[in-house]
Amino acid sequence: MAKPAASLNNIVVCRRCDAVLSKPKIEPGQKATCPGCSALLYELKKNPMERTMAVSLAGLLLFFPAILLPMIGVSAAGTHNEASLIDCIIILLNTDYHIVAFIVFLFTIAIPIVHLLAAFYIAVAVHFNKISQSLLVFFRSYHVLDSWTMLHVFFLGVVVSIYKIVDLAELTVGGGLMSFVLLLICSTLVSVTLDHHYVWEKMEQALED
Amino acid sequence: MKTSAKAMGLGCCPCCHKVVKMQAETQQCPRCHRSFSVRKINSLSHTFAWTIAALVMLVPANLYPMMIYYTLGQPEASTILEGIATFIQFGMYPVAIVIFIASFVVPLAKIIGLFILMYHAKRASKLTVKQQGQLYHIVEFLGPWSMLDVFVVAIMAAVVNLGFLSSIEAAKGITYFGLMVVFTMLAAESFDARLLWDAQDQKPQTDDSQSQLNQAGSR
Repeated sequence: MAKPAASLNNIVVCRRCDAVLSKPKIEPGQKATCPGCSALLYELKKNPMERTMAVSLAGLLLFFPAILLPMIGVSAAGTHNEASLIDCIIILLNTDYHIVAFIVFLFTIAIPIVHLLAAFYIAVAVHFNKISQSLLVFFRSYHVLDSWTMLHVFFLGVVVSIYKIVDLAELTVGGGLMSFVLLLICSTLVSVTLDHHYVWEKMEQALED
Repeated sequence: MKTSAKAMGLGCCPCCHKVVKMQAETQQCPRCHRSFSVRKINSLSHTFAWTIAALVMLVPANLYPMMIYYTLGQPEASTILEGIATFIQFGMYPVAIVIFIASFVVPLAKIIGLFILMYHAKRASKLTVKQQGQLYHIVEFLGPWSMLDVFVVAIMAAVVNLGFLSSIEAAKGITYFGLMVVFTMLAAESFDARLLWDAQDQKPQTDDSQSQLNQAGSR
């Protein structure tokens, strides 16, 4: 432990409590945790790149129906109205709530789309061994955006809205909601399948040569 | 007592988690090329500033109405708490509970939690560091969920639009509420949880088992 320079590759540092630990040997599918604060140190995942590629591609394709098709609609006394995710933002813009419209756009469309795109690009590039400097930028943005995707919160918002509207008027559920649920599943799966540790090690090896 | 990386002159890149020997206060990570320092610079001041900003936003967010509900042309504005009261009146308890927790309890708890953490980063406390770490984890985890009310108003305003019969419009409070949530998230992000352990380490240690080697567990 006294001469760190020689063995930097054999130690890990806990990001939460800053403890220096000797690197444990783990198999794919296992996790290493910090004994002091029980934070996750790193984990190895099974077939990380293939799975991420499939899931993120599916997510990207689902984005179009999820934001363009109507999610829920109401009808009462002969009048009918339905709205998609894009409509929510347009109506906020029309009523001059620019900041709120921007927040909704950012957290439910812009960040999730860049997040999925980054995951897909990284998975393809690492899988086919085409690692370049630009990949670093993508993977870094992936990390920064991770805590700012709010698809799951938006989904809970839809559920609460449905509950609120049920008593008010007749409710219809559109194809947009189905696509959105599937998109949510894909976006959650990406963070489960993408192995950060694996990608960084691969990148380090490739860029050193 | 554990060995901290800071004491050994090591740093852990916040992005790719590579362990690097720190040559300067701030340096670039050799693996992901992001520049970082041993501890987030001015972490406490940034967290403090964002938390105060969030606290300031909390007041108008609760005083101004979140949405205006028109029935047969009659407008009816309601703030967060009034909205919750209406749900309880109509016996819709599950929604009342969800909205009450997401838009009232959680934002308030997050701001109080951040103040507790900032206070303890300066001095060691009765709470164990592990508990404080968990508190930080909770504050970080709860961040996005408070956005629920903003999304609900956005959806309701778009969907419930039946002309004269009934329609819903967003109201002033929503902007402040949205900004408040963003500010608390930024506050949690700028806080460096390792400061809690630094404060703990400065406390006089009673046991002198310093030579104990840290062993990472696997599960």
